Formats: sequence, structure tokens, C-alpha cells
Amino acid sequence: MKKQLLSNTKNLILTGVGGQGNVMASRTLAGMLVDAGYIVTIGETFGMSQRGGSVMSHLRISPDSVKSPQIPRGGADVIVALEPLEALRVLTVYGNPQVCVMSNARPVYPIGVITGELSYPSEENIQVAFQRLSKAFWIIDATSAALALGNPVLSNIVMIGALAKTGLLPIDRRMFEKEIKKTLAADKCAVNLKAYDAGGEMIK
Amino acid sequence: MTKLLSPARSKVLFLGNEAIARGALEAGVAVATGYPGTPSSEVIESLAHVASERNLYVEWSVNEKVALEVAAAASFTGLRSMAVMKQNGVNVASDFLLHLTASGTRGGLVLVSCEDPGALSSVNEGESRYFARMLEMPLLEPSDFQEAKDLTKWAFELSEQIGNVVMLRSVTRMSHASGNVICGKLPVKSRKAHFEYDGSVMDSSRGPMISTPVVAKHLLHQQKLKAVEALFEKSPFNRYFGAAKPELLMITSSACFLYAEEAIEMLGLQKRVGILKLGTTWPLPPKLLEKHLRKTKKILIVEEVMPFLEENVKILAAGLANRIAINTFHGKYDETLPSAGELNPDIVAAALCHILKVKRKTLPANYLSDSQKAAALIPAREQTFCAGCPHRASFWNIHNAIALDGRKGFVCGDIGCYSMAALSPATGYHTMPTLHSMGSGTGLASGFAKLAQFGLDQPILTVCGDSTFYHAVIPALINAQHNRADITFIVLDNAGTAMTGFQPHPGLAISAMKEAVPAVDIAAICSAIGAKVALSDPFDLETTRKILTSFLADKGLLKVLILRQACALSPEKKGKKIFDVKVNELLCLGDACGCNRLCTRVFRCPALTWDRTTKKAVVDEVICAGCGVCASICPQKAIVKTEASL
Amino acid sequence: MGISNFGYPMNKKPGSQTKLKKDVLEQSLCTGCGACVGLCPYQVVYHDRTVQLHDCDLTDGKCYAFCPRTPANYGQIRESLFDISDVTPEIGAVKGYYLSRAADPALRAKSQHGGTVTALLGVAMDEGLINSAIVSSRNEELKEEGRLIEEKSQLSDYAKSKFTVSPTVAAFNQLMGDVVRKVGVVATPCQALALAKMKTVRIKDGDKINPLNLVIGLFCGWTLSVESFHRLLQLYQISPAALTGMDIPPGKNILELYTNESVTSVPMAEVDACVRTACRYCIDSTAEFADLSVGAARFGGDCDEMRGWNQIIVRSYRGKQLLELAVAQGALEIREAPASALQDLKNAAAGKKRKALKNIVEKSRSVKNLLYLSGDDPVVKKYLSMEKKKR
Repeated sequence: MKKQLLSNTKNLILTGVGGQGNVMASRTLAGMLVDAGYIVTIGETFGMSQRGGSVMSHLRISPDSVKSPQIPRGGADVIVALEPLEALRVLTVYGNPQVCVMSNARPVYPIGVITGELSYPSEENIQVAFQRLSKAFWIIDATSAALALGNPVLSNIVMIGALAKTGLLPIDRRMFEKEIKKTLAADKCAVNLKAYDAGGEMIK
Repeated sequence: MTKLLSPARSKVLFLGNEAIARGALEAGVAVATGYPGTPSSEVIESLAHVASERNLYVEWSVNEKVALEVAAAASFTGLRSMAVMKQNGVNVASDFLLHLTASGTRGGLVLVSCEDPGALSSVNEGESRYFARMLEMPLLEPSDFQEAKDLTKWAFELSEQIGNVVMLRSVTRMSHASGNVICGKLPVKSRKAHFEYDGSVMDSSRGPMISTPVVAKHLLHQQKLKAVEALFEKSPFNRYFGAAKPELLMITSSACFLYAEEAIEMLGLQKRVGILKLGTTWPLPPKLLEKHLRKTKKILIVEEVMPFLEENVKILAAGLANRIAINTFHGKYDETLPSAGELNPDIVAAALCHILKVKRKTLPANYLSDSQKAAALIPAREQTFCAGCPHRASFWNIHNAIALDGRKGFVCGDIGCYSMAALSPATGYHTMPTLHSMGSGTGLASGFAKLAQFGLDQPILTVCGDSTFYHAVIPALINAQHNRADITFIVLDNAGTAMTGFQPHPGLAISAMKEAVPAVDIAAICSAIGAKVALSDPFDLETTRKILTSFLADKGLLKVLILRQACALSPEKKGKKIFDVKVNELLCLGDACGCNRLCTRVFRCPALTWDRTTKKAVVDEVICAGCGVCASICPQKAIVKTEASL
Repeated sequence: MGISNFGYPMNKKPGSQTKLKKDVLEQSLCTGCGACVGLCPYQVVYHDRTVQLHDCDLTDGKCYAFCPRTPANYGQIRESLFDISDVTPEIGAVKGYYLSRAADPALRAKSQHGGTVTALLGVAMDEGLINSAIVSSRNEELKEEGRLIEEKSQLSDYAKSKFTVSPTVAAFNQLMGDVVRKVGVVATPCQALALAKMKTVRIKDGDKINPLNLVIGLFCGWTLSVESFHRLLQLYQISPAALTGMDIPPGKNILELYTNESVTSVPMAEVDACVRTACRYCIDSTAEFADLSVGAARFGGDCDEMRGWNQIIVRSYRGKQLLELAVAQGALEIREAPASALQDLKNAAAGKKRKALKNIVEKSRSVKNLLYLSGDDPVVKKYLSMEKKKR
């Protein structure tokens, strides 16, 4: 199936916590989109900042030009979050009434919450915030789906599968398969495809 | 086939650092060296991957100074070479660099500095562009990914043209951002190395590589720099975008160019604001600047971090005063832009709004108020040691030993993941109150230890990582031993340069190019110096604590404890648990226990959390790395570890 | 935005640990008894110092409640443990006072003086009065610790005086809530007070079964600071590990240090400099809150005929019962003390009380602030007024 070409730049923010496979997910998505003919710019920070901290990748998908590796405030079109608190954090900075949010359901508690100094917002509060601050949102239990496939880190691929199903980006399974065949060891492709499909199934 | 070796004309998504590596390959680089440091590491890493295929010599050197020396040797024999480092690495290399610019080079030699405005992965945001002016080196700054490749390639040619080092400066948002790059051709022929030294002292291609006669060579070097200026006047890497007579001219370089473009687009100011984007930022091409400074009276200079460009443009403008209009300069000096931290499109847009008195479209008021309400619910996510990190156990031991000793001892910190103990004090159990450059923990400790005669009676400890040990600690350690400094020196040996992605270092029997090399043993070095040396596993809390308390009590000598345990994220450990760790709900007394939540409140492992409904500790199996250390700290023995089944 | 304080302490009502630090540790009042240790992972003993390993913000903590140097109602404790008619101001409750020694000469030879404590513990174990005993011992880092003994035959291995404090009560804390055990503890005066507080002070959630069945108190004039004492040993070139015993022979004003090779005499002035600061503020030299208190016979008085014997004060009903059993079984020999001995003991004990109160007032700089003591307690009141008159 040939996807229609985007006419304007799409801004996607992929967020999560260090160690959740954020960088791999953003590069996979970008690789698929470059192949489809887009000019893609990814801005990300990694290194020391990944150690238990918030991680964010900015993807600018443009039909014609290189963009700033940082999306302006209020400028996200799509937010994909491997962790719900991080979805909320990004949403309150980069959100706007037109933004769509795809968030994993499973929390990773910040140390301040673990020690009892801070509190983690309730599921209900998070949902209410998503509702008020986005045009559409999905909360899926990607981690459980990934655990069922034997490795929690696959939740990033589950999220990509789910994202593809929503039609928010011009991506499909064939593009995904082609991309991972380039970037992953052959024995890992099957389970990643399963994770991608599991994600798609979670979007009705 | 590796992406880095994609055929000519293919369009590839490259990380900025990969684009730099590709540019070097297209220029025919033969030797590439560096010391790992975010955001620079991927340049050398990606070249190391293709080293055998492209017949390169790629080295992770012991530190940046040595890296530059190794690269310079290649240049002296006519090969093209490159040394890559992060901003503060240039400081380390700078002593050699001063002398290198004075002696000159032969084969193209490019010094790549990847800098970190905003200190996203650093403990400083110092920048090295001033070295270009101070040491009279041409400076190039790419502002997108294609340029990162193309400018790197050109840098080698430029270096050969002037017989001196060329510096290429990138920033985190370039090095660690990715974008499309159209590849050029990879050369097929390689050069043969030979060192000529029989020529006269002033013969830069055949004479000895020395800086003397200093004044004569200095003058020659300055003449060559004049020629560079002329080349820069015509460089395609300097471009103007916008109207012929804009109301405001932005002068910018590097990733700031992308922010400037975005800000203009956001505000719809395409007709009012022009951009002069400079790829060659030192020496500045005066004619080009003159041409553009005449366009308007209002100038905004957009750059990170220091006002380097601003100062140099102003100096030029002062010299051109009788030929150009009197300009109003906006930038860091007049505080239109912040003088510290990194920039982004929002900050540049705010500056434009301020100068041109325009307003940016805002989100609906009710959306903003809902957004603020939601933001109030969000707890900060503090950085911490990863689940299974050996440093957590090491600092637990260090803290307990210092507390038991009772003399208010402290740890002089150093650079690595363990810096977190200083950056987020509770993570290091409030033990590490100093943190400076690589190796300076040991130097400081050596100094603190000599203050007993002035009444200092606190025990002095210091830590360093295995890679840091080789980089800059050894001289300080020798200083400590020779001057009888009573220090407990702890090597947090996690078997690799973990923070930057497990690059090998001299302690490992493998090189950057995956060749077998002799490992240099830390314990043997310390013993040879004459220190008292012990080795322990930080996960063995009891043994480690006992060694530490006995070291603190053993006064008057240099003691070395090597705490060896591989990083939880290391390739050999990642995803493999030693133990399955669970909380036995029957044994955990929760809030009723007198422990006051030692495991979650004090120990602070991201995998060990507090279940708000059962009011008991619980292990998050997704995050737990299975190190089992928490089982040793629970007073109820309620945290149970069992050998993990494979 | 929820701002983490990044682990820096927050402004909160001070927990028990903070109060303990402020009121006891920072005042140099800590006796090192171990009462606050072993209850939680935060308080530990290292050498003879109480160390707070990490911050704890709990309030109403046992650490503060059980400490013998936090305020307590001594009147209430005395009432609940003793016949009030037995209580003397100088040396607490006295049901009986004798000279005693173990009947077994071999046991006497292994002991510091008369071997009375070891003999009494043996009988208490035989008779099922207790099934475990806690005595002081040394671990491999040469640090004193409380050792749990479950076999009578091991008792005599721990019969020597150490002159340094051991966190004995910490070992007992480990046994709280144990329903099977019946425990006897050999305790210094501060430890006996801590144990008495554990029995009598009511605190929230502190209602675990207390397995304490017997406290044998030791007379104690002072203890040595381990670190100062080890420095002293170093001066005399004796390794702490080689030390087999020590004693203060009467009349010579020296401390004798025994190793397998030699006997070293140290002038008392040098030893005094090593005395734990906290001992200067202690008003109890006879372990007033024990069931029985035992000391060297010359404690207070000094006559040759008492050498090799202990003085023993019977305080509680249980103490009386045990002494009678021990004599009836022939494990312990007792005899009436010379007429002057009790008075000498009382005088010495009263002297210690006056001295301690003087030191306390000197430290607090006010007779109204007696640190951990209360001016309302009749005993304190009596010696404080005597001290005032003297001045």
C-alpha cells in the first residue's frame, strides 16, 4: 500500500526513560521515513543524560528540508511515550490542541517517587490531562505485550506497531520489515515483527 | 554493508558524528584517534567499525593530548589524520596543540571538537572556539548534516594547503542529531607514510617538525592564515538567506542556524530578517562581512555559548567603521540572548520578537491553564545510578565506612557515571562534595592530605573510574605517593569506558579495532608506585566495608582499593540477571518495620519501589538487573535473591 | 511542578534519631551500651562509638526511648522493679548484701575476682530461670559486642573484665519478641538502666514480648574509650589482640595489663585520660536497676581479707531467689561482709553521684538543666543539694 506523501513537516516526539530503547525506536522510524523519501531530522540527547533520566527524541519529517533538531514549544504533532509520566511531561511543553498522544501504560517511577519525597500522578489524573491536552490519545500496555514476547525492551517496537496502525505517520509493516532487516541481526527480526504486530492489534 | 560505506550519491540518515566520520573517509583519512567523551564518541566508534575494510588505523588513546600526538605523527609522514574529542578534551590537548600549530603539519590534520552547550552530558559548557583565535587555527562549524560531512572533507584539504591543523567544531545538537546526507566518493588510493627530516629548519615539507626559530615560523604561520582568509571569502559554506535589504541581519553558525531559520518561519518574518550563515568562523572573511554588514543597521548574532562570533564581528566592524553604516549589535553583550546554556528556536524567536516588536501566536488560554495544571502534577525525574550499577554498592560501602570512621571523611570526585554521586548527592549518599576535571579528584585529594599541619583531621578519599585512571590520574597518584599523602584511593573499575558506551581502554586486552592488545594492570601500576593495594567486589558489602574502614584507620600512607564489577549495561551483562530478586511479602513488615523504608527511601535503586497499596517494598522485574545487593541491606532479610535460571 | 529536593534534608519535625543525636551523641553522653542499636538499620556501634549510618525521620523511636541518657521517670522504674522500702539513695534497692565467690576454684581462677557472675548464670541456666545469657565479647575486628551464650560450659570463657564498654543491649534487642527464649544479661549500670527502660517505658508499637528474665549488674566506676585506650596500648607497645586481661591492684594506683608474655603497669593518671567522657556524667556505680549487682570486693572499701571475693547486692525478688538457689546448690559461697564494707560502698557510690552531678552542672552551666536527669527525682535532688552546700 502506497502511503500519501505529507505536505507539511510532521513533528513527532518520542520520549521515555533511559534504557527503554528510545533511541533505537527513533532511528528505526527515521530510517523508514528516509527510505520513503522524506528529509528527516532527529534531535536527541544521550550519554550521561540517559542514566535513569528522561530521554526525548525530536523527529522532524519534512517533504523538502532539514529542520532544527529541537521542536519549538507547543509544536508537536505526535507524541509517542514509552512511559506515561514522560508523555505528560512532553505534552505540557510541546502539546497543542491538535496533538495526538500514544503512551505506554506502565510507569517507571522516578527516584524521588520511590523515596517518598514526590508523588506520581494517578492513572486517572494522567488520563484527564491527556484528554484535555490532546486531540486524540491511546494508552496501551506495551510492556506486558513485550514481556509476553520474552523481553520488556521490545515495548518500543510494540509502540511503533501501534503508531503505524493509527495512520498518524506514513509508515507500514513492509517499511518496518525492510528497515530492521538493515539494522538488526537476522535472528532478531522475527520477534521484532511480532512485537510490531502486537502493537497494531492493540489499536482498534 | 555498513551504512558508513554507502556508495556515492546514496541518501543516508547519518548521525552528525557519522557524517563527520564519512567526510573523513571521503577525504582519505588514514589515522583517527580520540578519547571517548559525549557528544564526540561516535566519530571514532564508527570509523573503528570500518577500519579493516578501509585500511585505517583507529585508536582510543589514553587521553586527548596523546590522541592528538598520535594523529600528528601520521600527519608528519604525509598521511591524513584526525583527532576527535569533546570540548574539555581540547584543554587537555592544548599544550601539545600550541606547539603543533607552531611547528606546522604535513598531511591534512583535523582536530574535531564536539561541544556540549547547556552541558547536557558534561559538567561544563566550556567551548574551544577561543583556542582557534588564541592558537591561530582555521575554524569550521557545520550547520547541518550534509555540511558536517562536506566541511570535514574540506578541512583536510585546507589543512594540507596551509600546512597546519584545522579545527572542526560541532555541538551536541549536531553530533547527536541525525539527518539526511548525500554521500560522496570514497577514495580508492591510499598514501604511503614516510617521514622526511633532512631539510632546512624553515622547510615545512622536508625539515624537522619543531617550532623554532619561533618568531620566523610564527610570522610564516600568520601569512598562511591570511591566505585562509582569502579562501574563506569565497567559501560556499558561508551563505546568505533572505531579502536584499533586510530590517535585521542574523549572523550565525552551527546548529544555531537551524534555530534561526525555524524562528523566522514561526514568526513569518522571511521578508524582514536575513541570515548570514557562516561555516568558516575563524579567521572571519572581512570582505564578506563588510558586504553583509552594509545591508542593514540592526544585527543579531546567534551563537552558543560564548560571544565568540559577536566579538570577532564587532572587531571587524570597528575596523570598517568608515565604510559601513553604524550598526546596532544585538547578542550576548546586550543580553538579547542568554549568555549561558544552549539556545533553541523558542529563545531565538523571543529575541526576534523583542528586537522587531512582534508577538508570537500563543496557544488558547484555557489550553495553557490546563497545561499548567497538568505540569504541576509531574514529579522531577532525577538522574540516578542504573539498576544493578556497581557504583551504587561502591558508594554505599564508602558512605558506611566514612560514617563508621566518624571523622567526617569525604570523597574527592572525578569524571564518569560516578560523577552522579556529586550531581545528585543522595545518589552517592552525600559522600562526594568535589567534582572537577578528569584526574583532578586524585590531585585534590593529594592536596587535602597535606593539610594536617594546618589542623585538617578528616580522612581523605578519592574515586576514579578505570578509564579515568589511565587518562589523567597516574601523575596525581605518583604525586600523592611521593609526597606521603594519606589517601584512600578507590578505583571504580567497571571494565570499560561505560558512560560513553563501553569503549575499550588500556586496562582491557582489546583495541578500538577489536584487535588483541596487552592490558595494562591498574593494581600492578599502583603496587609499583608503592601504594598498599587491595581488590574487592563492591557487591560484597561486608568485605568491601571492612577493607575501607581498615584503610581509613591505617594512617600515613597511600592506600588503593580496586572495586571491580562490570557495568550493568555492559554488553556481557546487559539483559542477563545473576539473581532473581523478589520481596517476600510475608517477611517484609512494610511501614510496621522499624526500617523506615531503608531499601526505597535511602538505598535508591530504580528497580526497588514501594507498593502504595500493600505498603511494602516490591521489585520491578522489568527494571531489576539482578545484582542482588538489596538483599544484603534489608534488616528483615525480606528481599530474597535466588540464582537466576537461564 | 513537583520539585525533588535531590536528597537534601527537608524541613520536617525532628525524628527520634535527630533528637538522640542532639541530646545524647553531640553532648558526649553516649555510653555505648547498645540500647539504640539492633532495632533498625540506622544505628550501629563501631569500636565503642554509636554511629548513625543514614538519616531516619521516624518519631517515637525506641532508640530514643530506651537510651539510658534520655530523660526518664526513675521513680516509676524503681517502683515497678523493686520493693520501694528496699531503696537506698546511695546504691538503690538492697534486699541483701554479702561477700561471695564461686565454689569451684577452677572457675575462680579463670575469673576476674570471685567468679560470682559466672556461677550465678550457671545456676540460672541449670534451673531454667534463663536458657540464654548475653555477655560481652570481642569480634575479629577487636570490637566489643554482646555475645549470646546458650551453653553453660561456654560461660567461663567470657569471665574477664574488659574495662571498655560493649554494646551488650544491642544483642538483646535482636531477641525482642522471641517467645521461646528466657534471657539473662550481664550488664553495666547504663546497660541495666536501658534494660529497665525497655521493660517499663511504654512506647507506640513497642509491645513485643520481652524475653528478659534476669539482669546481673556489674559495679562500674568508668569505662575506657576504645580509641584512646588503643592509643595508650600502642604507647606501651602492646597489641590489642595480645591483651589477655587487666586489673587494678589495690593501693598501687596503677592498671596492670596482662599478655601471655608480660605484665605492664600503667599509672592511673594515664588511664584516667582514656576514660570515656560519658562516664563523667553517670550517677550509678552499682547497677541500681539490676536484679543482683556484683563487683570486686574492694570496690569502695579496701582490705586484704576481701581479695578473691566479690561484693554482691541482692535487689529484686528474682535476685534473691537466684542467690538462695546458688548457695543451696553449693555453686556459690557467701559470707557476711565486714561491718564497714557496706558503708564504704555507699560512700563511694554517693561520691560518684555528687561528682557526676557537679560535672553535669558544669557542662550545662545551670542547676536547672541536668541534661538527662531530672531535678525532681529524690535521689538527684539529694545529691545536687549536697553538692550545692559543699560549694
